[in-house]
Amino acid sequence: MTPFLRYAVFLSSGFCLVSLLILLIKTFAFGRRTNYAKHRGSAVRGVLYAFGRGMMPTEKESARRHLFTYSAGVTYHGGILAALVYLVLLLLEYELPAPLLSLFRLLLTLGFVAGFFLLLRRILLPAPRKLSCPDDFAANILVTAFVLLGAVHSQWESGLPLFFLTATAVFLYVPLGKIRHCVFFFYSRVLFGLFYGSRGVLPQEKKQEAA
Amino acid sequence: MREHGTTSQRMPLEGDAPLEGGAGRLTPEELRRSLQIFREKLSSDEVAYINSCVRCGLCADSCHYYLAEPQTECIPAYKLGLVTGVFKMYFGSVGKVFPRWMGARRLDRQTLEAWVDSLFGRCTLCGRCSLNCSVGLDVTRLIRLARSTLVSVGLVPRGLQSTVDTALQKGNNMGIPRQEWVETVEWLEQELRGELNDERARLPLDVQGARLLCTVNPREPMFFPLSIVAAGKILHAAGESWTFSSENYDVTNYGLFSGDDDAARVMAERLVESMERLGCETLVLAECGHGFNSNRWKGPQWLRKRYGFEVRSILEVVADYVREGRIKLDPSLNPDLVTLHDPCNLVRLGGVVEDQRYLLERSSLHFVEMVPNREKNFCCGGGGGQLSMSEFSERRLSAGKIKAEQIRATGARVVAAPCHNCIDQISELNKHYKLGVETKTVCEVVAAALVTEG
Repeated sequence: MTPFLRYAVFLSSGFCLVSLLILLIKTFAFGRRTNYAKHRGSAVRGVLYAFGRGMMPTEKESARRHLFTYSAGVTYHGGILAALVYLVLLLLEYELPAPLLSLFRLLLTLGFVAGFFLLLRRILLPAPRKLSCPDDFAANILVTAFVLLGAVHSQWESGLPLFFLTATAVFLYVPLGKIRHCVFFFYSRVLFGLFYGSRGVLPQEKKQEAA
Repeated sequence: MREHGTTSQRMPLEGDAPLEGGAGRLTPEELRRSLQIFREKLSSDEVAYINSCVRCGLCADSCHYYLAEPQTECIPAYKLGLVTGVFKMYFGSVGKVFPRWMGARRLDRQTLEAWVDSLFGRCTLCGRCSLNCSVGLDVTRLIRLARSTLVSVGLVPRGLQSTVDTALQKGNNMGIPRQEWVETVEWLEQELRGELNDERARLPLDVQGARLLCTVNPREPMFFPLSIVAAGKILHAAGESWTFSSENYDVTNYGLFSGDDDAARVMAERLVESMERLGCETLVLAECGHGFNSNRWKGPQWLRKRYGFEVRSILEVVADYVREGRIKLDPSLNPDLVTLHDPCNLVRLGGVVEDQRYLLERSSLHFVEMVPNREKNFCCGGGGGQLSMSEFSERRLSAGKIKAEQIRATGARVVAAPCHNCIDQISELNKHYKLGVETKTVCEVVAAALVTEG
């Protein structure tokens, strides 16, 4: 069973990468608009800000106001990354040293808790629920299950077929639903930096009074 | 140069129930046309944004509409969903097959009605949600794209469309005839001379080769002539070589708000024409938020060319005068507590952030910031063409509550707002929320502190 699922993971991840590439090509096919206005600030500094300080709650009121949700989001994505790395290590049959395994256990467990919290938030709070479509719930459930099964395997070394099966499902779903933001997030963030940087809006050197 | 991808999809649009409102009259052909325009306006950036939204809803309380009226319909992600849903239905592979699963929606009469109500009626294009978006989506850009689509089927609210039409037909958005503008400038020149007791003081018109070409918001000659005198006083004190144009002087561009790129292009081109005709070095934009965004940033994009001259806000120019010692200010001449409103199009979307502060700190005895401020400031509620859309005026005043509370918290007597739309809205908020403040342009505050010879 497991060797077959191992191949399924490889194939689905290949499908995922190729599909995301096609999505990107289709996106670029829409064409870009040239910016003819003379820059006021630095686009490069804007992009660096977008991926650095600009992600911090100190800079972003929405993150500050919803610090718990923001932290859950960061932890969840950390957990997902850990699950992916853990998956790769398993596929390569790499024996993890004990301290590293403990670190993975921690990240995966926290990631699962955070993902489950975000799912509950989406189900229970009226505003996020009304904003959501089935794709949002499906993506969250699928990825949270993937992280959970990674955590379970890291703890008890059991459930490997199920972990591989979920990984396959995740890879197949990534390009189809909202999880595609794993690529487009970076694209949008670059655009954010280019926009505010070239206009000289961000980064601001002067310290703001907090809201 | 922008390239287009595949042509718009031909999905059936007929069959949706007719509505009583504006969209109810649309023919299937017009609906198809709206989809075509929607497709034509899409670039890769917008598509990337559409594929990035995770509907986390953290943008909710960055929006003054939501804070004033906490309903789902006011959440930026909801408004954005009205637009992204259409993309998914016609241009997303999964959305076509499983529309409910993906939150896709047809571009039908109901959707267009919802767009008018939400994207014109509950958004000022202030961009505060974009700044607070977890991903960093340019929500403003996508909402304006949908407004452009509404332009193509004549669904722009009447007041806003009429402002655009007036500007196109009469050369300025107040429909001021050329002769009336020239006479107003002459009259104001007499006022300036009287105030300065200086016969050399001028409000020059059509001076060939002047260094600066100054623009005005047509509301100034109509309702706020003293703001023109204030700017003239500063330019005179600095010994500047400058001029107004007797034609094509309007800094405003309501095409930015309506989403009408063709109209916006015509209006932006007029100022370029004035610059070229008079051979000036720098186009100086009056205190007008959207006028700054339109002419400094969007104009070159609309005209698809780099300008051969500088485009600056008058605030940048006056701040340079102070730095260079060309004008002297006495802050004790403005003893009242002054606060500053940051117009979204000038600050968050424009990049003119510190010059107005530099000026107010040096021209008033007591200056206090609103919290939050600069690029994080709240919209006053008057942007996005709201002041011209009377059908949404109740919402506009309600959404302005956040700004009213910000102003009240400062305890200021004077609100300096470098934008005439903002001044109009804050003046209304002043009455509605009984704030007891006076609204002024930054140049008015600076001019009052100006130390003149004699």
